[in-house]
Amino acid sequence: MVIQILLLCGLIIFSGLAILFKDLLKAALSLAVASLFLGIIFFRLNAPYAGVFEISVVAGLITVLFILTIALTKKEGEVEEAKLAKVVFPLFFILFLIIDGLVMKSLLQKVPSLPSGPEAGTFGEVLWKQRTFDLVAQIGVIFAGVLAVLALFRKKEDDKDE
Amino acid sequence: MVFSFIVIPLLVAAFLPIIGKFSKKLVPDVLTNAALAFLLFNSILLVKPIFNQGTIVQNVNWFGEKVNLQVALDGFNLFMLFTISLVSLCISLFSIDYLEHYGHKANFYALLLVMIAGMNGLVLVPDLFSIYLFLEVAAVASYALVAFGLGYDELEASFKYLMLSVVASAFALLGITILFGMTGSLSFQAVAQGLQDLNARYVVGVCVAFFIMGFGLKAALVPFHAWLPDAHPSAPAPISAMLSGLLIKVSGVYALFRIIYSVIGMTPVLSQVLMALGTISMVVAALLALGQKDVKRMLAYSSISQVGYIVLGLALGTPLGIAGGLFHLFNHAVAKGLLFLNSGSIQHITGTRNLDELGGLGKRVPITAGTNLVGALSIAGVPPLAGFWSKLIIVIALIQAKQFGYALVAILASILTLWYYLLIQRKAFFGKISEKWLHIKEAPFWMSAANVILALICIFVGIFFTPVFKTWISPAAEALAKGIQQVLMWGI
Amino acid sequence: MSNLWFLYLFFSALLIFIGIYCLLTMRNLIKLFIAVEIISKGVSLAIVATGAVKNSVLLAQSLAITYIVVEVSLVATALALIINIYKKNKSLDVRLLSKLKG
Repeated sequence: MVIQILLLCGLIIFSGLAILFKDLLKAALSLAVASLFLGIIFFRLNAPYAGVFEISVVAGLITVLFILTIALTKKEGEVEEAKLAKVVFPLFFILFLIIDGLVMKSLLQKVPSLPSGPEAGTFGEVLWKQRTFDLVAQIGVIFAGVLAVLALFRKKEDDKDE
Repeated sequence: MVFSFIVIPLLVAAFLPIIGKFSKKLVPDVLTNAALAFLLFNSILLVKPIFNQGTIVQNVNWFGEKVNLQVALDGFNLFMLFTISLVSLCISLFSIDYLEHYGHKANFYALLLVMIAGMNGLVLVPDLFSIYLFLEVAAVASYALVAFGLGYDELEASFKYLMLSVVASAFALLGITILFGMTGSLSFQAVAQGLQDLNARYVVGVCVAFFIMGFGLKAALVPFHAWLPDAHPSAPAPISAMLSGLLIKVSGVYALFRIIYSVIGMTPVLSQVLMALGTISMVVAALLALGQKDVKRMLAYSSISQVGYIVLGLALGTPLGIAGGLFHLFNHAVAKGLLFLNSGSIQHITGTRNLDELGGLGKRVPITAGTNLVGALSIAGVPPLAGFWSKLIIVIALIQAKQFGYALVAILASILTLWYYLLIQRKAFFGKISEKWLHIKEAPFWMSAANVILALICIFVGIFFTPVFKTWISPAAEALAKGIQQVLMWGI
Repeated sequence: MSNLWFLYLFFSALLIFIGIYCLLTMRNLIKLFIAVEIISKGVSLAIVATGAVKNSVLLAQSLAITYIVVEVSLVATALALIINIYKKNKSLDVRLLSKLKG
């Protein structure tokens, strides 16, 4: 349990660093480290497939996409952030921490939930047989993403000769 | 076959980019319109079974093995499906001519079809997480479509829209996660049953707050409306019509009220909160619309205001109120679709959307002016057009439920609506024509055709109000008014 | 068991708070999108933890994977938008994006 809490704290710290770093590259990398922590937390929660996906896709693929974008916009992409926002951040963070803790503590005994038995079947069966509709929707989302990228990066010359 | 509403648009969208390599215009045009016409036909075919049976639940078997591809259709879903098919067919007809100067038609149509597939899926699935997913399908396609012109405004509006809407769907998903945690399942039926057994009012209240934040932002209710007046006017005209006419209603209003009525169950407190939200959006957006110079921005604010009416009617909770809200949803989808397409025609004809520059177009472009007048009067609620009846029903329902204050505000807001629509008419179509517009021509055939079809629907529904109301709106309202019982009866 | 659920929800609420704070105060477009990523981490933590605590981790896992797929296509779209905006005004400053006023 202690290890789990440490991992969660690491996740929070690296997410916080991701927004505090001025250098975008460092920010993207600490986001990747945060994903790594999240992936390990998933493993320890008995969700190995989600963990693998989190580490390979979010920490891997999405970070690569981020770094690509940062590289493409490097030249004049520096933006002066507001100083105040970063200084005030710890204050707000601690405030929210306290509120969050109080809310969660007061809700602790109040959420009723149905008793649940152990789950039957394997992961593959659940994914294919219970959540089949999600797979259709996933195909839709992937189409939408691919077509969106195609539309946003289409060549200008084509517009003229049509 | 109910499943075709999701599969056909996706299949056509998958092939369109490849076909687009060989045929840049003709084949994509024909294919898209044929697919959408087929869906419209299909949804009309389903009217009779729904009218007789009440609900249809279909399962698909994948090579003889049982998989969970299940769609559930009742009056409410069918009503939404029909609205989506009808308006999107007109929009794609309009795009035939309008998209000429954007180019890349195949890509545009593919995105449009993915968006329609997303909306159809959202309407059909009886499962909370799938609702979120299809909402995301439609949303990702809509970000790209808003930015389709690749101009400065388009990109900016699309980015803002994306940021806000990602946060919105995160909140909606959190609400879904909490319900999942309490009941251990995600299908409407099981969650509704579980919540009945649990009687957990406070936690459900938290979930509803998340849903109102998430779906309310998608529907652009007033505290969450900031993205809409940017995103809707910046998009190409057919997409504005799509977003304002359909997407905010499907991914905002439909999702919110489907979950509230069929899963969580309506309570008096919730009803009051939603009615207050609806009224605030109705009034604030109508006031904001008055000051706009850009035709499309004015229409966008008007959309927020009219969504307020729909929410007010649906949140009232009496069968008549729900029927009025749904009827107004349909009328607004048709009329606002018409007005946005029409603003596209105006832009195509004159090259500007600024009301101060326009004037006296009426004599030169009678079809555009006439259809615009019909749409505007229908939304503003002038008899005998369709919008009049739906607003009348909402007001009567409010009076029946003894909510006189809301009824009064609804009537006053309707007068405000009439005022700013007459403003458009006066500035754009009447008055003296300026020298600049002496040589303008009427919009191309398909653009005018789409406008005329939608205008005819406005008039037709207004005149044949009683049969339309009986066959279309009442079953939908009944399905919703039955609330949780309706879902528990599905017998899945 | 339900105490554990609240522990995880506590952390996921923190992540969402960090994301929203960043979204409200930062000016760099890429930073804003990093904020969105942090929010979605919070959501996926909530999903998996809910499943793990409530004995339905297999279901929660498949939801989380689907969520990650959605995230990828969102990221691709958003980054394409950002690159296009950068091409237009040679800057990533969000304050330049104020031509339209909601």
